[in-house]
Amino acid sequence: MNDHMVYLDNAATTQPTLAVIEAVNLSLSTGFFNPSALYKPAVAAAKEMENCRQLIKDRLQAEQVIFTSGGTEANNLAILGQLSGSRQGGRVLYSLGEHPSVKAACQALPEGFLATGIPLNREGVVDMEAFSRLLGPDTRLVCVMQVNNETGVIQPLLEAAKLIKEKAPGAWLHVDGVQGFLRLPVRLKDFGIDSYALSAHKVHGPKGIGALALGGKKPIKPHLFGGGQEAGMRSGTENIPGIAGLMAAIQGFPSTQEMRARKLRLYEGLRAVIPALLVNGPDPYGPCACDHILNLSFPPVRAETMLHALSAKGVYVSHGAACSSRKSRHSETLKAMGISQAALDGALRFSLSPYNTDEEINTAVNAVKEAYQALKEFTRR
Amino acid sequence: MTKLLLVKYSEIHLKGQNRPYFQNLLLKRVKESVRPFTRDVQLYDSRIFIRGILDKEAAMEAVRKVFGVHAVCPAVEMEKADFDAICRVAAQIMAPLSGTFKVRARRADKRYFLDSPEISARIGGFVLANQPNLKVDVHQPEHVLHVEIRDQALLYARELPGVGGLPTGSSGKAMLMLSGGIDSPVAGYMVAKRGVVLSAVHFYSFPYTGELAREKVLSLARILSGFCGVIKTYVVSFTKLQEAIHTHCPPEYTTLVMRRLMVRISDLLAEKEQACALVTGESIGQVASQTMEALAATDLMASRPVFRPLIGFDKIEIIRLAEKIGTYETSSLPYEDCCTVFTPRHPVTRPKIGKVLEAEAAIPEAEALVAVAVETAEVLFIGPEAPLSGDNP
Repeated sequence: MNDHMVYLDNAATTQPTLAVIEAVNLSLSTGFFNPSALYKPAVAAAKEMENCRQLIKDRLQAEQVIFTSGGTEANNLAILGQLSGSRQGGRVLYSLGEHPSVKAACQALPEGFLATGIPLNREGVVDMEAFSRLLGPDTRLVCVMQVNNETGVIQPLLEAAKLIKEKAPGAWLHVDGVQGFLRLPVRLKDFGIDSYALSAHKVHGPKGIGALALGGKKPIKPHLFGGGQEAGMRSGTENIPGIAGLMAAIQGFPSTQEMRARKLRLYEGLRAVIPALLVNGPDPYGPCACDHILNLSFPPVRAETMLHALSAKGVYVSHGAACSSRKSRHSETLKAMGISQAALDGALRFSLSPYNTDEEINTAVNAVKEAYQALKEFTRR
Repeated sequence: MTKLLLVKYSEIHLKGQNRPYFQNLLLKRVKESVRPFTRDVQLYDSRIFIRGILDKEAAMEAVRKVFGVHAVCPAVEMEKADFDAICRVAAQIMAPLSGTFKVRARRADKRYFLDSPEISARIGGFVLANQPNLKVDVHQPEHVLHVEIRDQALLYARELPGVGGLPTGSSGKAMLMLSGGIDSPVAGYMVAKRGVVLSAVHFYSFPYTGELAREKVLSLARILSGFCGVIKTYVVSFTKLQEAIHTHCPPEYTTLVMRRLMVRISDLLAEKEQACALVTGESIGQVASQTMEALAATDLMASRPVFRPLIGFDKIEIIRLAEKIGTYETSSLPYEDCCTVFTPRHPVTRPKIGKVLEAEAAIPEAEALVAVAVETAEVLFIGPEAPLSGDNP
């Protein structure tokens, strides 16, 4: 990476590792064959693809893995594919912290379905009591993400699955695992998860490749039609270089333990110099805080101003979630958590990768401190 | 028989001894606009003729955007000797049309064997006999087929309106104060339409506003340059002054002091550019800094006229114009060009000039900060294509 850059926007996307770049490069240059073809090198390409599929199946204890163009397509395929196969209508529940690719899909349901948001508590965790009240025999689908992309909160999937089993045994549980994949263990069958979406570029893989893993309850319906690839679930020639990159990313993903320590180092460093700091999300030390995301506000400094000031110092962070930061409005997730206006105005997301160093964390702390000192005097009068 | 474009101009006809100056300038602008299509552009008979074009529609669109053009007509030019041939071409031109029509003939060549009423009647009769979709109405026709007999015969039935105004460069230069909002690009357009060459100044306050806000303003300048040519744009860093105003002035006066210092900087840049006037998008009473009292207070900072072409327009009228010239969508992008930190909750609407001066005097070394802002302004030449950095056009 660039010497002068401290990249702390890893929840938006990550830098591909050298191993990933080499794997993609090799696939593009020597393994470019169409895996549906019948000659030797094409069969080899198909075999590589199946190796990756098996690797994901083993990691996730999944019955079936469908490669997609990424997290958004995987989420859409799960939600729309599940519901268009469902004969009678009913209720669809999604946590109010879901990514737009889940929320928007839930709001574009076929006739006969009613989508309802599950409230969040102050830390961003799904409110289990409210969830329990919403669940009923008419519930067809529940979407709860593994790790929230804005606050880094880990959702209680096991508990949610248990509740579903009790109160809505027929309901499908879809989990958006884009931020959680490889960072947290998950076993679909043991957890009671029916489908799980993942994306390569959030785990140091290439963009344009992801997958939907299925626990194996009942089939879903495809939404792309054509040559019948991916067992008919997702037509279109497979993204072989992307799959090669995804495989290298999975195999090379490091332990996240040190990353958690660095996240806490960042938090402590900032708290020491800016006592007014607010945490938007779970206690960074707590059990429901993931290892890589910190959402903080430095009132009275506005997020956008701080973001620009940090960017001038080569420290790259994001406000809200990067996917929607071009829309000039506050994060729906943070609003659903009921945090204060001052915190909303200032919410910045720092997201780490296992490759960030202590020096980078120190640089970031100093940059925030300097920017804060320069900007805190200028408040609206 | 040749196909060509006939370009008409309007107001230039009113000019007296200056007319050739305006005509030649318009010819130059029209030539520039069709350069990608052809170089065969000629001025005679008080009109401009463009020949040798393959992509007629694209060329017409380009010409219609040239200030000073009243209308563009796709026309046919042919030998005048064979009158039957003229009739046949006339019927061909009218073939796609239906409804009522008339023929308006002009015989510039007085030796021609038919006079104007006779030409009209014969061609009209032929068209009527061959085009069952058309009927004659000489009073309020839906279509008019023009037939002109000069050295050659010229026929046209379609007339696309141009933007009007005066050719760019015929009226000197003005400095447009350009923000990312809806109003200022429209104000710039209206002044440019009167033949004025535009320079622009934009104020930005990094880190309170970001890169995208700046890009948005440059995109607006690019859209405007499609009408009036390359715009020399000054991007002024206003952060230091903005912070100084915030620190030293009473909150209710900060917006007005800010506007005054922006006008001051623009005036100094206008001096450098030899621009005769400043242009702003203000309209009476639109916001606190646009009351008559506030406008009077900002005018005091300028040593040249401040043009406000939107002064009597409602917001909805301005939006309509913005849509027409194609800036509305860009202006509506969400990137703010002024941070809310610097917009006071209760700005003064009826400022007393004494109080304004007092507020301004509280800023230490304001004049020095203004001088630095002028000196460090970044210069960009923004044309219809990508912007060019640096100091050379």
